Amino acid sequence: MRALTYQGPFRVRVEDKPDPIIEHPQDVILRVTRSAICGSDLHLLHGMVPDTRVGHTFGHEFTGEVVELGSEVTQLRKGDRVVVPFNISCGGCFYCQRGLTALCENSNPESDIACGVYGYSHTTGGYDGAQAEYVRVPFADVGPMKIPDGMDDEEALFLGDILPTGYMGAEMGEIKGGESVVVFGAGPVGLFAMRSAWLMGARRVVAVDCVKYRLDFAERYAKVETLDFREVDDVVLFLKDLFDGRGPDVCIDAVGMEASGSRAQRMLGLGLKLQAGAPTVLTWCIEAVRKGGNVSIVGVYGPPWNLMPIGTAMNKGLTLRMNQCNVRRYMPHLMGHIRDGLIDTKGIITHRFPLEQATEAYHLFANKQDGCVKCVLTPQ
Amino acid sequence: MQHTPIPGAAADLDFASRPGVPMEHSPQPLPGARVPILPQRSDVLVFKHVGRARFPPVFGTAQPPRGLSGLLRKQAYRFPDHLARHWLTLMFADRVDVWEHRLRGGLSWGLPVLGVLSLSAWGLRKLTTR
Ligand SMILES: NC(=O)c1ccc[n+]([C@@H]2O[C@H](COP(=O)([O-])OP(=O)(O)OC[C@H]3O[C@@H](n4cnc5c(N)ncnc54)[C@H](O)[C@@H]3O)[C@@H](O)[C@H]2O)c1
Ligand SMILES: [Zn+2]
Ligand SMILES: [Zn+2]
Repeated sequence: MRALTYQGPFRVRVEDKPDPIIEHPQDVILRVTRSAICGSDLHLLHGMVPDTRVGHTFGHEFTGEVVELGSEVTQLRKGDRVVVPFNISCGGCFYCQRGLTALCENSNPESDIACGVYGYSHTTGGYDGAQAEYVRVPFADVGPMKIPDGMDDEEALFLGDILPTGYMGAEMGEIKGGESVVVFGAGPVGLFAMRSAWLMGARRVVAVDCVKYRLDFAERYAKVETLDFREVDDVVLFLKDLFDGRGPDVCIDAVGMEASGSRAQRMLGLGLKLQAGAPTVLTWCIEAVRKGGNVSIVGVYGPPWNLMPIGTAMNKGLTLRMNQCNVRRYMPHLMGHIRDGLIDTKGIITHRFPLEQATEAYHLFANKQDGCVKCVLTPQ
Repeated sequence: MQHTPIPGAAADLDFASRPGVPMEHSPQPLPGARVPILPQRSDVLVFKHVGRARFPPVFGTAQPPRGLSGLLRKQAYRFPDHLARHWLTLMFADRVDVWEHRLRGGLSWGLPVLGVLSLSAWGLRKLTTR
């Protein structure tokens, strides 16, 4: 089959590789129908994720059609159209039983910090991803959700990752109604976090980024106020001022380890690799949020460590919540919101490419060109 | 400036409507879960970091370890993942992996080119020394 493969930092290409096979009786094989490029893929592309091996196929946000079934699969049939959570979760372990499917302990031998994830290095289990014509899907009766007749694949696609992630970002902010919420990052995850903050009853939502077209997009799509942090002297002071001199009630980090905004953090984390990326936004969240407030982290950070002001968080009495998204538990609820017209998922897709042009798609998305917000690949 | 929020604003105001609240629900297997999970069988070498008690029943088999980077990775997985040297060794192995692939790629066209060059050099020398 044709598949995108990693060739080293900043280099991917599409090439031939063997088709995936059923490796476990609970597996299915999908013919991939849509496969998105996620902000998390950029961390892989840039060589920030340990044990990313040359030849690895990325892609963890996808829909597909079932073409082959393992002997123990009972809930799916050949030809079913499904959307798949990016976490590979067994459904029956200590964590899955409690709803924490991102922490499943039955799918990743290589590390304890996360469960198996499609196309996300060997640190998350060494599974090839779905930026390819076919993909192996383990625990097929647990994760995949059938796409209802009448709904097209693209409408359901983001249920596998960024929609639940943005929603969980707002949820972990513990919005009770009437709060002020600042979302750092106006990328796809940030956009869904903004929409979700409104759904949970926020009074005021502000988006912070430095890419003009993305802020404009956020203003239109998520009806938020916007702030280009490059246009203010000190973003923390500015945000404190904006919210009664105290700061917002909730800050959401939807940027993660490759943030711009601090030369020192970038030099240490991205240049010298003395820490795992640049925790600039995490620092801003902790400094800007009001005392006693909530910081919710969905932007991805990696091991082993980062320089962040834990003492400030402690003294300010903050609640910090964070996780990879436990995607499966959000899917039915958010599917309902899509059907009821509360969230227009397709509205954030700005670019579609055939799989063969995946390299260009990565280039566009990574460099924030041509007004790109979200790229979707269509394998032939 | 205050904006008009989206359709459905405050639809999920009630915590009971939020799928992730409480963070941990009372334990119960998720629909479709099957226990016990049969162990996946594979000939591919897959590492388990020593901090994990047992090998999980399901795992990925993409890109088996090879060459020098493979040896480095093997070493890295001897350290549990709460130690920085686990991660630093892996990051180093990743760079070595890239160079190994470049070298292998280089050899695949470099060797024939080298062969043709030395043959012609040999031929040339034969002609000129006659
Ligand atoms: N927790 C999860 O389960 C989960 C799931 C999906 C994605 N993620 C992570 O969420 C993050 C965002 O993903 P995305 O797809 O939206 O990526 P993206 O790269 O498209 O968006 C990130 C945005 O952050 C902006 N940015 C950079 N520095 C900033 C700063 N200092 N302040 C404010 N904005 C800044 C960028 O300009 C960009 O618009 C990534 O780290 C990704 O790995 C996490
Ligand atoms: Zn993702
Ligand atoms: Zn599990």
